[in-house]
Amino acid sequence: MRRRALLLSAPLLLLARPAAADLVYVLNSGDSSISILDAITRQELRRIPALREVHHLVLSPDGRELLIADSGGNEIFFVDPATGDIRRRERVSNPYHLDFSPDGRFLVICSLRRNQVDVYDARSMALLARLRMPEKPSHMAFRPDSSVVYVTLQGSGTVAAISLATFQPLWEVPVGREPAGIVWHRGRLIAGIMGSDHFAVINPETREIEKQIPVGRGAHTIFAQPDGRALWATSRVQSRLAEIDPSTLDVRRVIDLPGGPDCIAFDPDGRIWVTLRWAGRIARVDPRSGEYETIRVGRSPHGIFVQPRRAETEGLVQTSAAGRGANAR
Amino acid sequence: MIDSFNHALDDVTGWIFETLLQPLMYQAGLMDWADDALEWLEFGLFGVFSIIVVYVVCRPLEAWRPVEPVTDRRAIRTDIIYTLLTRLGLLPMVAFVLLASLQAWWEGSVADSGFVPPTLETLFPALREMPLLAFAIYVVILDFGEYWRHRFQHTFRWWWALHSIHHAQRQMTFWTDDRNHILDEVIAALWFGAIALLIGVPPGQFPLLVLVMRLAESLSHANVRLSFGRIGERLIVSPRFHRLHHGVLSIADHGKNYAVLLPVWDWIFGTADFKRDVYPRTGDPEAPEALATGGWLRQQAVGLKRMAGAVFGRGTA
Repeated sequence: MRRRALLLSAPLLLLARPAAADLVYVLNSGDSSISILDAITRQELRRIPALREVHHLVLSPDGRELLIADSGGNEIFFVDPATGDIRRRERVSNPYHLDFSPDGRFLVICSLRRNQVDVYDARSMALLARLRMPEKPSHMAFRPDSSVVYVTLQGSGTVAAISLATFQPLWEVPVGREPAGIVWHRGRLIAGIMGSDHFAVINPETREIEKQIPVGRGAHTIFAQPDGRALWATSRVQSRLAEIDPSTLDVRRVIDLPGGPDCIAFDPDGRIWVTLRWAGRIARVDPRSGEYETIRVGRSPHGIFVQPRRAETEGLVQTSAAGRGANAR
Repeated sequence: MIDSFNHALDDVTGWIFETLLQPLMYQAGLMDWADDALEWLEFGLFGVFSIIVVYVVCRPLEAWRPVEPVTDRRAIRTDIIYTLLTRLGLLPMVAFVLLASLQAWWEGSVADSGFVPPTLETLFPALREMPLLAFAIYVVILDFGEYWRHRFQHTFRWWWALHSIHHAQRQMTFWTDDRNHILDEVIAALWFGAIALLIGVPPGQFPLLVLVMRLAESLSHANVRLSFGRIGERLIVSPRFHRLHHGVLSIADHGKNYAVLLPVWDWIFGTADFKRDVYPRTGDPEAPEALATGGWLRQQAVGLKRMAGAVFGRGTA
């Protein structure tokens, strides 16, 4: 009887077990390479040489391609996220930070060094518009209806809004010294003020700063947890990872994470993977206990992405915008 | 071994950056430059390490088989000052950063046309998967550039007026490599940086390139009776090969053996002298005594004055 039950349930058990470990992509900006790690063993499976400086990456809207931007090398790698194989390369002017509009129509690229924001057609990669900006456009966030992209300008200490209908700047407001990461959250923009110790909550309609979220000196980037139950923010000077309540925008707790935490990715089990810029390592954080371990990667790791490889999800499209965005900065 | 060294260097750099440098940058409102500062700090530490390596390698060699006894320690101390001022690669790095900014501005200016500048790897895609080979090619190209810069230093009177500081040393040791007029260093840095950017040297590899070249140059100036043999002498510049270049009969445009790393350039352009048993006296008999035995500041002033004389047609060159 027991044997028959086992035989009957075997296919279900086979379906439930992981086909392979998740893959963790880490962009080593300091030594021009991409590390691909096995999430279970934490071993580096492969290191892909890049041309110059890889900083940020984003998953395509259909989940089939991972776009890795080499800003110094003036190109974007299009990678199969399931295998790490490079499918093609596109010559693109100084791609630093990049993201797709929520409707999937546009790929917007910030060029930190050349003070420009480029808007490409997501399908054809045709350049639709190039906007000359004030100093150092660095990170971006979209309005959910894809009508506007908001860009932090590190050198100017401002956030600029650009219409994706006319490709014209709409407005620009001062937010503090050296703003970096930015996210759209429930009708507000939240931007890390790197030259300060807080995130600024900006109302895009009134263009006023409504609140400050203190997280520690060198407030840098912010990411929404895929299930929407928390926001996670980093500070690179005080080396902290802060959990923020998505409703009240109060800091729930702070995890000290030495090494200059920068970008964040979430794996399917809810663990948080963080690049530690100054330590040449990444951290794998258990958000339940706050405990973490670190894994050595290349020099000055920046962008990070987790590709789930469960049997039931392999090859399927990831449609969660939050998940995509969280892995993309 | 290399990985262990790199990891140790990264850890030390990260610790210094996080505990000392970054808080200062934060206070000064310079967080914009955090990434660059980290790179530069690592480069500086690498420079310190390179001085240690040069000392550990070259000092025993000089003690083992010196070409000549040390009689003028003061002249060597002056060379040590030169080394400490330049060995950390400050000038090449400043030039590279400056040129990189100019390049970014220029590329931004032409970006509207859709033009994206090529690099060695985009011209030869196979090099993408072979970063070590790419690195070796960069070294060869940059060394070729250094050979010609060196030739020009000996050819143009105003440039020789500066470069003769380097050749005036009669007590040559491995410290002599950096004995250059600061203006000569600036020109050299711009020359090297411009070629590096033109061929697209990755910023991460640039410090290593500088250090490879400088390690080779230090060894080639060592006061040691050492040649690399019939074949080796034609592959890498040896102390014997370069000492002949510093010989009293090899000044200004009478020079031989200009190569910095690879003697093949002297071979190709007919400036090689492969006599392996010759270790001549070094120095520039035509240079003022201040260039041989004066202090750093005195040599800088005299060098500048002589250059002005060469430019305006007065004095010697």
